[in-house]
Amino acid sequence: MIRLDNIVATYTTQRGHVNAVDGVTLEIPDSIVMGIAGESGCGKSTLMKVIYGDIGFPLSLSSGMVDYGFVNERGEPVTTENIRREWFRHISYIPQSSMSSLNPVVRIRDQFVDFPATAGRKKEVLAQVRAFVPKLGLPPEAIDAYPHQLSGGMRQRIMVAMATFFQPEVILADEPTTALDVVVQKSILLLLLDLQKEMGNTIMLVSHDMGVHYQITQKMLIMYAAKVVEYADTDDLFQRPLHPYTLMLINSLPTIGDDRARHGLPGSPPSLWEMPQGCRFAPRCPLATALCRKEEPPLLEHERGRFSACHYAASVPELKQTLQAGPRLSEIAHDTAQLTADVERDV
Amino acid sequence: MKLAQYVVQRFIGYLLVLFIGITITFFLPRLMPGDPINNYISQVQARAGQSLSAEATQQLRDSLAELYGLQGDIFTQYRNYLARVVRLDFGPSFTYYPEPVSNILLDAMPWTAGLLITTTLLSWLIGNSIGLIAGYFNKRRWATVLEVVGIILYPIPYYILALVVILLFAYWIALFPLSPTFLPGPMTWNKAVSIIYNSFLPALTLILAGFGWNVLAMKALAVATKEDAYVQFARLKGTTDRTRMTNYVFRNAMLPQITALVLSLGFIFNGAIQTEVIFSYPGIGMTMRAAAGAGDYNLLYGAIILTIFSVATAALILDLIYPLFDPRIRLGG
Repeated sequence: MIRLDNIVATYTTQRGHVNAVDGVTLEIPDSIVMGIAGESGCGKSTLMKVIYGDIGFPLSLSSGMVDYGFVNERGEPVTTENIRREWFRHISYIPQSSMSSLNPVVRIRDQFVDFPATAGRKKEVLAQVRAFVPKLGLPPEAIDAYPHQLSGGMRQRIMVAMATFFQPEVILADEPTTALDVVVQKSILLLLLDLQKEMGNTIMLVSHDMGVHYQITQKMLIMYAAKVVEYADTDDLFQRPLHPYTLMLINSLPTIGDDRARHGLPGSPPSLWEMPQGCRFAPRCPLATALCRKEEPPLLEHERGRFSACHYAASVPELKQTLQAGPRLSEIAHDTAQLTADVERDV
Repeated sequence: MKLAQYVVQRFIGYLLVLFIGITITFFLPRLMPGDPINNYISQVQARAGQSLSAEATQQLRDSLAELYGLQGDIFTQYRNYLARVVRLDFGPSFTYYPEPVSNILLDAMPWTAGLLITTTLLSWLIGNSIGLIAGYFNKRRWATVLEVVGIILYPIPYYILALVVILLFAYWIALFPLSPTFLPGPMTWNKAVSIIYNSFLPALTLILAGFGWNVLAMKALAVATKEDAYVQFARLKGTTDRTRMTNYVFRNAMLPQITALVLSLGFIFNGAIQTEVIFSYPGIGMTMRAAAGAGDYNLLYGAIILTIFSVATAALILDLIYPLFDPRIRLGG
């Protein structure tokens, strides 16, 4: 289990300090796929950085730390203090821009063995890599190529291969498929899911695509203005959100066969420089009252395993009724075996 | 097959560039007002007074025309000129008559080539190393000091730099000679040592003058490359600074610098005039200056064609070696 304890991540800028993640406390069970969603600037990428341990100027950790729940080679518990030494051994990262994340003038195989983890045993590791890549639907010779000789989908498979090769406990994926077309997107995500099932790692996936979240994640974390507003099992969260922001985020989704007009979210998130008093979502919230504008709601467990930071969490299902625009996401296949079959038929 | 096609294409381009350059060199002076033969004869007449007979003048005119390759109409002249260039025959020098121009250039060439190839390579290596470190660690204070070296050296005019170096190392601290004296005769160990010793000051000034620019250019390239996604991803892989600086930043940032290096190697035969004159160094630059001062057209022609030849050859070499450094050109997209 990964524990985040009151994480406050601060950027130092010329205007002063600003908290991009402001007090996040979480427990993430092992071997699940967790999705993180929220508008741009809500702090989801910063949270990923903190979890990865990539903290350095201008980002600093003002409070809290991450306890990863596993030990390093010397038997010490791994926390924010020493996670950097575990990069690509116990925690790995799939970047957003697969197109430009590989060195263009060096063969891919050489980029597979310049981790500190492979120092001194490159030949041995390369042989293993060669045996490993066919699993990802890549020909073994692909690693002898230069990046420009591979297609975008193949390159992203290489990135997935790098992230999974050392069988790390945790894999962070920051919008891993945004640069790809939807068919390739689907196959890459399914590949990642297959590998995750086999190796039992924890995947944290940042995506703007709520459809992707619905299909592949088990838990969802919704962020708004540097705070967690809702954290729950994906099915529950989509069927019966307990925070008006989540509800409106889901409501804005188009659904096949549903020709009702979508309700966008009015307004925009507050500037991190001028946080409103009370609930940060209050200015855009249809349920907001004087209480919301005065007192910030804490993240509470309203039902078993269902966390929401809203004074009126209990009224959200009613709000859903009144908005009358529940997206029929239940009509989208949620069964991954079915999805695999679909992809194979398509290809 | 693709490779052979690539090489043949470059080579045809190379011959074309040479031909155009040589042709321009032929026509350009002929567009200038005045006639070198008349100039020369009027000089001779002024010196000899009226004692030259019309017959002697005509004889002089004919032999000069033959010497300069100025017989017949312009087309005949052009054809003869091309034939002579192909045979590397630029006629005799006037100042060192009857020594052929090609001999004079061949004597001067090793001096210039030795000095300039060495210093160009050294200043490229030193400058790019400093620039790489300054750019890669650009957030650290000590790295800014490295960049300042480049900023200070780069704008100093070469002749001032050279004079300061002479004052410092040949006058105040008389470590090196003011002007070089080379041992005659065949190459021996002693002679080699004396060449290095005597060439040290000119080499030093050329390196100092050359590497400032490399520092600045490489620093700018390294700073930009460092932010590229693949370098950032390499950082998140946990690679060492050393790996990232060499295999990631340098391997990519050096590509434009290699272009600059090879092109500057092509220009070495006309880049050395100031150095050679200031240090009385017996290379092509000195020869060219002497030729220009004495109106030695044949020698000038020879030197200019040598320059065209070396620039074009450098560009050809660049085209041929560049794919070794950039697989995107070697293997196509």
